[in-house]
Amino acid sequence: MYGKGLLKGLSVTGRNVFRKRLTEKYPEEKPQLAARWRGGFQLDVAGCIACGLCERACPNYAITLTTEKNEENKKQLTTYEINQSYCLFCGLCVEACPKNCLRFTQEFETATYHKEEVKLDLFKNQNLSAPASIYAQPEKATEAARKEDK
Amino acid sequence: MKTQTYTLNLGPQHPSTHGVLRVVLELDGETCVGSKTHVGYLHRGIEKILEDRTYPQVIPYTDRLDYLAGINNNLAYVQTIEKLMNIEIPERAEYIRVMLSELMRIASHMVGIGIYIMDLGAISAVFYPFIEREKILDMMSHLSGSRMTFNYLRIGGIAHDLHPDFKPALDQFITEFPRFIEDYHRLIDENEIFIARTKKTGAITAEKAMSYGLTGPNLRASGVNHDIRKTNPYSIYDRFDFEVPVGENGDCYDRYVVRMKEVEESFKIIQQAYKELPNGPVMAKVPKLIKPPVGDVYHQAENPKGVLGCYVVSDGTPKPSRVHFRRPSFNNISIFDEIFIGHKIADVVAILASFDFVLGEVDA
Ligand code: SF4
Ligand code: SF4
Repeated sequence: MYGKGLLKGLSVTGRNVFRKRLTEKYPEEKPQLAARWRGGFQLDVAGCIACGLCERACPNYAITLTTEKNEENKKQLTTYEINQSYCLFCGLCVEACPKNCLRFTQEFETATYHKEEVKLDLFKNQNLSAPASIYAQPEKATEAARKEDK
Repeated sequence: MKTQTYTLNLGPQHPSTHGVLRVVLELDGETCVGSKTHVGYLHRGIEKILEDRTYPQVIPYTDRLDYLAGINNNLAYVQTIEKLMNIEIPERAEYIRVMLSELMRIASHMVGIGIYIMDLGAISAVFYPFIEREKILDMMSHLSGSRMTFNYLRIGGIAHDLHPDFKPALDQFITEFPRFIEDYHRLIDENEIFIARTKKTGAITAEKAMSYGLTGPNLRASGVNHDIRKTNPYSIYDRFDFEVPVGENGDCYDRYVVRMKEVEESFKIIQQAYKELPNGPVMAKVPKLIKPPVGDVYHQAENPKGVLGCYVVSDGTPKPSRVHFRRPSFNNISIFDEIFIGHKIADVVAILASFDFVLGEVDA
């Protein structure tokens, strides 16, 4: 019978009408993001040793930082900027940081009205209040185990 | 009465060209009598950019070739470098790589099939596959932190071990996926409209498909049994039990059937790999600074769209001297100008959609 296939297909639709709602009511409901989410950035300036490894790891030259020597002849940061318009969000900078002071955050609404706001001045605004992502951060459990081994 | 042909510009912003493909059609009434495909609207010069990147820095760019299947692109590239440097990677990493490649194959085919049928006018047919794809992207974001541009594989293994949230999500996917397959067959397979639009439309003979260098499901739909995972097994594909589905007529309907069957085979591989997943490290010991020996190397992998080849020339420095990708979609769409001729314009759209190409890969 012509149209039998169509009716069969319609039965699938019928069954699915009574299924649980799968969509989220964004923006009223905020999505549950993965723990390793790669969204915005935060920088713990106090922990940074100004080694510049993050800058060198970046494939698209999105990070610019400047340093100076302080009284104790130690390098310290003077500026730190990530130009997000060049950023691939690849995470190589976060993986490269030996002190784990450069971290991703779980922010995802990063659209801005002005082009200047796309550049993140992480020296002035460290953004430490944003929820941090565990991407490339040492896992607490494995850390504890390692200490016990010692 | 005097008649004349006219020119119709399909794309580059036409929704059914799946991105920014431009096809200039010469039409006689509604019938296509000539066609010229233009590419290059998404050209980013990736191969040139890569000459100024270190070997590990290349990986995020490969995500942006076929952006619907980032892991497969990562895999082809990192295996090329591993081949050049003779790196053995740990078992666990191999299993995870295979599992994720097959998950991405399913995700990519979900888009391929869904959008294909939507282009033929069946809107609801796109939602069911996208639900399944969404589950896969969620799983991937648990692992890599990103939904499409993963940058998850590394030269020598994978970047991070599985995240605890991944396993429950995969378990749920494995229990729910068979029901989707069953539902979708009911929805589409016998749909009279779908059959009328696709059977005998855009048929390609096996000889022609081979002479144009078609690969992937588009080639297998024409009845050619060619799959790199079988003919030239890479990674650990030789350990798994799966079939290579082939079509008969090479028409639009067969391209749908082959993709659906391939999804089921991929699902089999995922289950096997998940069951046998060994414990252990996920990264081999590789030097901090990756400097392959002087030489060149070519490696092929079976991507969802076809055979992705990667050619790398090393001059002994930390940056590759040349990286070239043989992108399957680019070769696949080369046949368009020939098969469009003689078809009605609505069929041209059906053929375009049935090829499941990605412009990020065509233009690179
Ligand atoms: S995420 Fe990647 S592209 Fe962005 S700043 Fe870090 S290294 Fe550079
Ligand atoms: S890698 Fe880390 S410690 Fe070094 S400069 Fe960058 S943020 Fe600071």
